[in-house]
Amino acid sequence: MQRWKNFPHIPKHIHISPRLFLAAGLVALFVAIPLVYIFFRAFTGGTEVWMRLLQTRIWKLLANTILLTIAVTSGAALVGVSMAFLTERTNLPGRQLFRWMLALPLAIPAYIGGIVHLTLLRPRGGVIPQLLENWFGQPVPTPSPLGFWGAAFILTLFTYPYVYLLSAAAFRSLNASLEEASRTFGRNSWHTLWEVTLPALRPGLMAGALLVALDILAEYGTVALLRYETFSSAIFVQLSGRYDRSAASVLSGILITIAIIILWGELRLQGQARYTQLDSQWRPSVPLPLNRWKIPALLLVLLVASASLLVPVFVLGYWSITALLDPETLSSIMRSGSQNFGNYVWNSLWSSALAAFAAVVLSLPVALLSVRYPSKLSKAISRFSQIGYAIPGVVVALSLVLLVNQFLPFLYATPLIVVMAYVLRHMPQAIRASESALNQLSPSMEEASRTLGRTSLQTIFQVILPLILPGLMAGAALVFLTSLKELPATLLLRPAGFDTLAVRVWIWAEEGFYTQAAPAALLLVLASAWPLYFLLRREKIFK
Amino acid sequence: MNALELHHVSKKFPSANTPAVNDISLTLRTGEILALVGPSGCGKTTTLRLVAGLERPDSGSLHIKGQLVADDRHFTPPEKRGVGMVFQDHALFPHLTVFENVKFGLKGQPSAKARETAASMLKLVGLENFGERYPHQLSGGERQRVALARALAPHPVLVLMDEPFSSLDADLRHEVREQVRGILKAMSATAVFVTHDQEEALFMGDRLAVFKNGHLEQVGLPEEIFHDSATRFVAEFMGDSDFLPGIVQNDGIQTELGLIPQKLNVPANTSVEIALRADDVDFDQSNHPNALVLARFFRGAYYQYRLRLASGKLIHAFKPHTKTISPGTSVHAFISAGHKVTVFQDGVAVEDGNAASRPNSTRS
Repeated sequence: MQRWKNFPHIPKHIHISPRLFLAAGLVALFVAIPLVYIFFRAFTGGTEVWMRLLQTRIWKLLANTILLTIAVTSGAALVGVSMAFLTERTNLPGRQLFRWMLALPLAIPAYIGGIVHLTLLRPRGGVIPQLLENWFGQPVPTPSPLGFWGAAFILTLFTYPYVYLLSAAAFRSLNASLEEASRTFGRNSWHTLWEVTLPALRPGLMAGALLVALDILAEYGTVALLRYETFSSAIFVQLSGRYDRSAASVLSGILITIAIIILWGELRLQGQARYTQLDSQWRPSVPLPLNRWKIPALLLVLLVASASLLVPVFVLGYWSITALLDPETLSSIMRSGSQNFGNYVWNSLWSSALAAFAAVVLSLPVALLSVRYPSKLSKAISRFSQIGYAIPGVVVALSLVLLVNQFLPFLYATPLIVVMAYVLRHMPQAIRASESALNQLSPSMEEASRTLGRTSLQTIFQVILPLILPGLMAGAALVFLTSLKELPATLLLRPAGFDTLAVRVWIWAEEGFYTQAAPAALLLVLASAWPLYFLLRREKIFK
Repeated sequence: MNALELHHVSKKFPSANTPAVNDISLTLRTGEILALVGPSGCGKTTTLRLVAGLERPDSGSLHIKGQLVADDRHFTPPEKRGVGMVFQDHALFPHLTVFENVKFGLKGQPSAKARETAASMLKLVGLENFGERYPHQLSGGERQRVALARALAPHPVLVLMDEPFSSLDADLRHEVREQVRGILKAMSATAVFVTHDQEEALFMGDRLAVFKNGHLEQVGLPEEIFHDSATRFVAEFMGDSDFLPGIVQNDGIQTELGLIPQKLNVPANTSVEIALRADDVDFDQSNHPNALVLARFFRGAYYQYRLRLASGKLIHAFKPHTKTISPGTSVHAFISAGHKVTVFQDGVAVEDGNAASRPNSTRS
């Protein structure tokens, strides 16, 4: 069993190694350049572009984006926390199974879930409206998945697992004695939940919710599919259709500003999120009996699990079988242009794997510096290197297009620029994984190695790396998983003919060939589920 | 040649207001065990880490075996100092077996010789059959001995031990520290040992260095430190002393418990304090009560009594467990030390006068 270990006394070392400092600084610089460059372009974009955008687009986009972000964040928080409460704090039957079912939607990119739900619920020609019409002999009004409510619904379904996982872990780590103490002060279990449990978990849950918010700001596929215009989709259109890079830069500048404010809040909360920790006295809380609420609770969990996991997987499976049985569809799946299905799979895998490897390697100097030489400066470098959370894929794409064109033209139109985008965008996940792995390693290990005759570099390779390898693998798995699902930056940056699974699914679905897109989508989900399974197995609640 | 020399070494951490180590000078002879002792935050661990090369001094110089390892301009990193260290949490590498852990420091030797040395070290600490195990499969005491074997295997010039027994249970601690002292002496190792436990320091150290707030209060043999404390702090820290105020007179020191006929090199009428341990004080139920029994604590072989003197001052006394006296009893307390008592003026020990005489003792 892996216990959370805490080393309150991190000894101040000999002196900060200049080599390590230089390496971490270079990583921060690598991450910083695209950001700074976008701001630079945004504010030198010319007053005329600003005026035009201010008069026409910006206010509408701002309202749309903020409204959707707030709606999805609160929706995901509500669903995530209540599902976590039901699986971790009550005697709900089949909890172990539901835990997996509630976490696995993370393997389904929201746009793929969106495609499935759109096909089912489309006002004209959707499966469910059609079914109802046949049944009743006349059209029955059904809620449309298009527009604001549809986007909010779909995105909530596929982002709540972030909050679910964080809050389930938090519910689990809370010591029973805390709730028992509250009970001895005369609070019943309902009051205890509101007055003690939830407030104690709040910083961690808020941090989770803000990560969802950042995800929504960056979301492109789903909002484009459901025709709800946000900053991300507007920037995408400017870039791919009109080639108006000045307008795209201005919009990006505003978008990143919002995102940075949210990220700043998230980083602050991360610092406080250590209210609870497992010590040797830890006992799990006693599950609350649901009694007469058992059936409604079961139905609720089943509903969420169905909408976010079972239905999409079932529909994709059904379509895939249909597609594979139809020779014509099968042949267009296997080959489009010069590319065949194997190419898409291979492209997806190698670009994501390379990004995962690069992100973990780059995260190491930053994590070593911030964990082993804690200071204002090293903390600032670590936080700054996590700026990727606040740079949506479309913005990463824009900055790389501009930068590479100008300074590294030989990289342009190679798949490496796609990998670079993945690294920039997903580096924060690697940094957090590396930092948390290093935090669990006692500094005395390194000191022992030094007094036994190893230099600092030998110590890194012979002691630190072997010991934090599982943590690094987790970081790599996370980067791999998110890179595999990445859509907008891949669409904008890929060289002609470089199709990944995500790109292929998107292109086919956009053309309306849903059954044709299904096998690729299903494979993408399965390929994502594998690293996700590995990651979830590390979590306490899945042991 | 001295195994270790520290000259006016100081170290201040950027986050702290006061120096962690303030102008420390120490020497350690080859084959000697020096115990650094003091309350937490007194600078003893920082001193150890400065010797190991895990910290860099702000000023002063360090020599190991006559070689300069740190001063203003020069700094030898830990891996080049030839010191072995035993860490508070043992810091055994969890990815290596016990045998590989012990062999870790033998890099650069021919592998057959390294294996032989590692095996003999494991035998020395009595763990020859544990080589293939991993650290998590060992008990606390076994881990402790592996950590020692690992530190000793490269035959370091100096062994540094940072509170090595603090992670062990109390009963195990006594057993292990006896073994460790035996092993260190068997190898004639030179060692610096850090502890906050005065009893452990007295047991382990050939000499003791008592720290307070980053500076050295006293260095000396265990007996000197205990019976001839240089400062009030040392007397208090090394063994629960009570302090009784007194006035120096021509023929001794006048205290609440009567005149102590001990001559001092200070003028008459000076205010001083006398350090009294519970075994220096006795009482009986005679006619002239001067104290009240406040509480009685059972200590196994004896009772410890807390007495309140008329002035309100609290002192403690040991009595055999064969007789019990109830709290609330008025008694006559007196000094029964049987040796010279230690006297402090403004916290610093006062030298004896030449014509020293024993205090008026009625030994029990």
